[in-house]
Amino acid sequence: MEAKIKSKVFEQFSKASKTLLNPVLRNWKDQGGKIVGYFCSTVPEEVITAAGLVPFRMRATGSTSTEESDAYYSSINCSFPRHCFNLALIGEFKFLDGVICVNSCDHVRRIYDNWKRFVPGIPFIEVMSLPRKTEAAQVAWYRDEINLLKGKLEKHFGVKISNETLRKAIKLHNETRRLQKKLYELRKQEEPPITGAETLAVMVAGTAMPKGQYNEMLRELLNELRGKSGPGGHRARIMLVGGILDDPEYIKVIEDQGGLVVTDSLCFGTRIMWVEVDESLTDPVEALARYYVSERPSCPRFYGEHDNRAKYVIDMCREFKCDGVIGERLMFCDSWLVEHYMLGQDLKAAGIPMLKLDREYITGAVGQLRTRVQAFLETMGR
Amino acid sequence: MLVGGCDVGSATGKAVVMKDGGIISWEIIPSTTKPEVTARTVMNKALEKAGLSSITDLDYIVGTGYGRLKVPFANENISEITCHAKGAQWLLPTVRTVVDIGGQDCKVMSLGENGKVLEFVMNDRCAAGTGRFFEAMARVLDCGLQGLSELSLQGRNPATISSQCSVFAESEVITLVNEGMDLADIVAGLHASIASRLNSMVRKIGLVEDVVLTGGCAKNDGLAKALEDKLGVAVKKLPLDPQIAGAIGAALIAAERVSKRPVKAVPGKEV
Amino acid sequence: MALIDKHPELARYLSEFEWFKFLREQTLALSEIPEMQLQVKTIDSLLKMYSRIIDAVENDKPFLASYYCLAPEIYTAMDLPYYMVMQTPFLASSVPYLLQDIDAAEEMGLGNDLCTAIRLAIYYVEANLSPLPTCALNLLYPCDGAPLLHEVLKRNERWRNIPMFAPDPPYYADERSLEYFAGELRRMVKFIEKHTGKKLDLDELKKTLDNSNEMYRLWDEYNQLRRNVPSPHGWGIGGPQCFSQAWVYEAGTLQGVEWFRKLVEIAELNVKNGVGPVPEEKIRLFWFDLLPFGWVFEFLPWLESEWGAVMVMDMFANFPYTMIDTSSEEQMWLGLAKRNLFDSPMVRQARGVADNFANDIKRIVKDYKIDVVIWPGHMGHKDGSATVGIMRETCRDLNVPFIHLGLDLFDKRYSTPDQIKDKISQFFRAMGLG
Repeated sequence: MEAKIKSKVFEQFSKASKTLLNPVLRNWKDQGGKIVGYFCSTVPEEVITAAGLVPFRMRATGSTSTEESDAYYSSINCSFPRHCFNLALIGEFKFLDGVICVNSCDHVRRIYDNWKRFVPGIPFIEVMSLPRKTEAAQVAWYRDEINLLKGKLEKHFGVKISNETLRKAIKLHNETRRLQKKLYELRKQEEPPITGAETLAVMVAGTAMPKGQYNEMLRELLNELRGKSGPGGHRARIMLVGGILDDPEYIKVIEDQGGLVVTDSLCFGTRIMWVEVDESLTDPVEALARYYVSERPSCPRFYGEHDNRAKYVIDMCREFKCDGVIGERLMFCDSWLVEHYMLGQDLKAAGIPMLKLDREYITGAVGQLRTRVQAFLETMGR
Repeated sequence: MLVGGCDVGSATGKAVVMKDGGIISWEIIPSTTKPEVTARTVMNKALEKAGLSSITDLDYIVGTGYGRLKVPFANENISEITCHAKGAQWLLPTVRTVVDIGGQDCKVMSLGENGKVLEFVMNDRCAAGTGRFFEAMARVLDCGLQGLSELSLQGRNPATISSQCSVFAESEVITLVNEGMDLADIVAGLHASIASRLNSMVRKIGLVEDVVLTGGCAKNDGLAKALEDKLGVAVKKLPLDPQIAGAIGAALIAAERVSKRPVKAVPGKEV
Repeated sequence: MALIDKHPELARYLSEFEWFKFLREQTLALSEIPEMQLQVKTIDSLLKMYSRIIDAVENDKPFLASYYCLAPEIYTAMDLPYYMVMQTPFLASSVPYLLQDIDAAEEMGLGNDLCTAIRLAIYYVEANLSPLPTCALNLLYPCDGAPLLHEVLKRNERWRNIPMFAPDPPYYADERSLEYFAGELRRMVKFIEKHTGKKLDLDELKKTLDNSNEMYRLWDEYNQLRRNVPSPHGWGIGGPQCFSQAWVYEAGTLQGVEWFRKLVEIAELNVKNGVGPVPEEKIRLFWFDLLPFGWVFEFLPWLESEWGAVMVMDMFANFPYTMIDTSSEEQMWLGLAKRNLFDSPMVRQARGVADNFANDIKRIVKDYKIDVVIWPGHMGHKDGSATVGIMRETCRDLNVPFIHLGLDLFDKRYSTPDQIKDKISQFFRAMGLG
């Protein structure tokens, strides 16, 4: 099932997913625009946009080695931060005007400590304290965190972030979410006009360019896809569940075996757009705090939410008529290991087949992936 | 109806020819560096044994194994997980757990009643418990694979090999040899540690009898015994060479494609 | 035994109880060495807590599942016994079935790159081998493993109806974080009162904290004595025992104060006589983690006998504590927040930013005249292993050798004791130590 989409705008999205500084972003920079990278989807992008900056979700796309970062990380650390930090050390992130880190997990949170000490030249680097629970006291804490971040951005970049600009930014980001959800809705069809790999390219691109432009381009793509059907020929409809997956090639290997990925729960997938920020609240910071801590579909980093997460996956499977779930995790990731352990039991009880996969951040060893996926599809009798 | 199954592994290539639900020939050869060449060579040998002159005599061919994408004459390729399971259960219908030890990976499959794979777990990240590991040990101890098996069965006090990595285990073994430990005990200890790993994999998906070994290393009786000790149940022997289980499964699936219905388990029927 | 039939979840807990009773009677109590006699007292504290928990299960009295870094003085003040779901790995050095249990955890599908201590705890919970408490205080720090273990706990069919509260950890070490966490501790107490029927009397808390402060004062005195060259004690007594008294079994009790008094007495005598655990102290080392409890006897005695390498300081012996101001309620809560969130061992290094990895090394190397810093590199410390660059640089600046081993504190098969001995020997030789 090769990518069948013949579309200029899709080409741009695809290119953005294969590079860091894509042409749209480069253009923004050339015109004097500033870019702030961030390390977890719980960082409130809207605040960065409201400051007149472009938020950039950190990736290590194109990294080929961890030679430099091996001095700071160990062989029992996740390959995602190892590759990111390696790129930082060899100067590949010089295009960033700032970086915001979060205590998302044990591996990624140390990028803050290492980057601060060992990568000279980053003009702005901050860390946010994300709660582990999703109750009222935690929403209040994160509201204060967001206000603190706002203050730091204002001070460093010499801007003022009023409630008005923040509300505008929320509207803009919600528009992105709405459009992305529309894209996913197209995949409910029996023959979706867009594959999982192609969709991931579109989603990744959304984290790597000014949202206004992105929304325009995505509207164009939606127009092109309206009423279209895909080539079909797949053996099964799959829901992909996991963490930081930003490489469409990985999904392509799965889809080449006949497992069409029609929906997901991923950091670059439904979790960041299935629910919108509440625009009716008078305090936009409160709205953001509620959204990022308790309203959006959670990831296993949040304690006490497993039942909700399991329900989210099962409901999504039914909604998209999925035949099975593939749960992926990066090697050494504790959060997704335990989550998949629990989810496997929940899905078994719900009669939904599940395949668990370990992977490295940079896609390699495709033979092993192919075998497992093929065997999984065969066990589903497809 | 004539069908073929071709299992191209990292260490060996296997082919099976079946006629009307029974095996009429099979062959095993060492793999060459090119999977296409291995596939053609082993298939031709099997055809020759069957008194057939050409691949085109077969109605359908299924390829499997590590090199399955490079079997140019295959009508279809199926994962070795499905094929080993199918082949094993055709050989012994009471099979419910298959432990397959290949050249560079090992896997465990749990089966339902009709050869359907319910769950599987694979180790293809390291050499421990694979053909490579046994070859390396046979080299270090200078005793050949058959020798390894015999020595293992003679061990009275199996050594404890604590290294989980096969490279470190090799060092550990050399140290024990130099310390003068009885070779049989060392080899028995090696088999015990491999059996531990396999046991762990079996437990992950649940032990259901009957249990069989497939793959090249299945012919190692020492390993079978060590596995029995760890599992606490008998490891049944297959009536034909366990190394061809994958190719048999592939041939069976080929037959299903032609007849458009599942092939009934005709246990180990060799014509 | 009728108790086991009625409460199969007590099986492991009872085995541990029997095992430590055996250890106390058959080995430690037979020795006349003052350190060994103090070890007997250490184990007595453990046995006392175990008895209370067993009694609570048998007679339907309230008890808690909680952790050392969730303000145990509060439980003492409320007269509530508590146990740690994760305690087996901490006590592992004597437990005969440890490797079996680790294998069982892997077979459950928990892989082998998740911290062994976490895997074991998850296994015990899922296999119904953990006592079922009246209510549970769930730990969400310092590392990812903690909230994950408790997510499993929360979902488990036997535990899901047990009331639970989990104090949320802020990531920083400032005033605002202290206030926030003090608030969580207050909420925690309200929760415990609600579900156990016991009330926290602030006067009781003050008395308990005053005792606790006295223990910590004596602990500080003891650590000052360990600065001596030669150090009065090595790995045999020190960190783990002080930790178990102050944080686990005798938090804020008079017996705890007495224990520390005795410890200082013994150490003073050694310092006066200029003796330590080895005839000649050649290397003073800092072991920056828990002791390798899964195989401690196969490794640490060798370090002393083979290399004269004395473990002068370890992570749990580290003393960054300040006394808790018991003059007002407000100060007591803030003091408890600081002690549990900023100061408690392992939490102070791993919970937040990496600064304490560097700061602790700097302070300890200087104060204790350390010759070599060892980062054991336990397979579960993902954040710590992402801090090796910072630790290495800190040691370079201090001109002290640093080694990162890579091991599993509980599973000796991960890196065998022999492999670790080789690695350390090569390192000592290369550094010209010993």
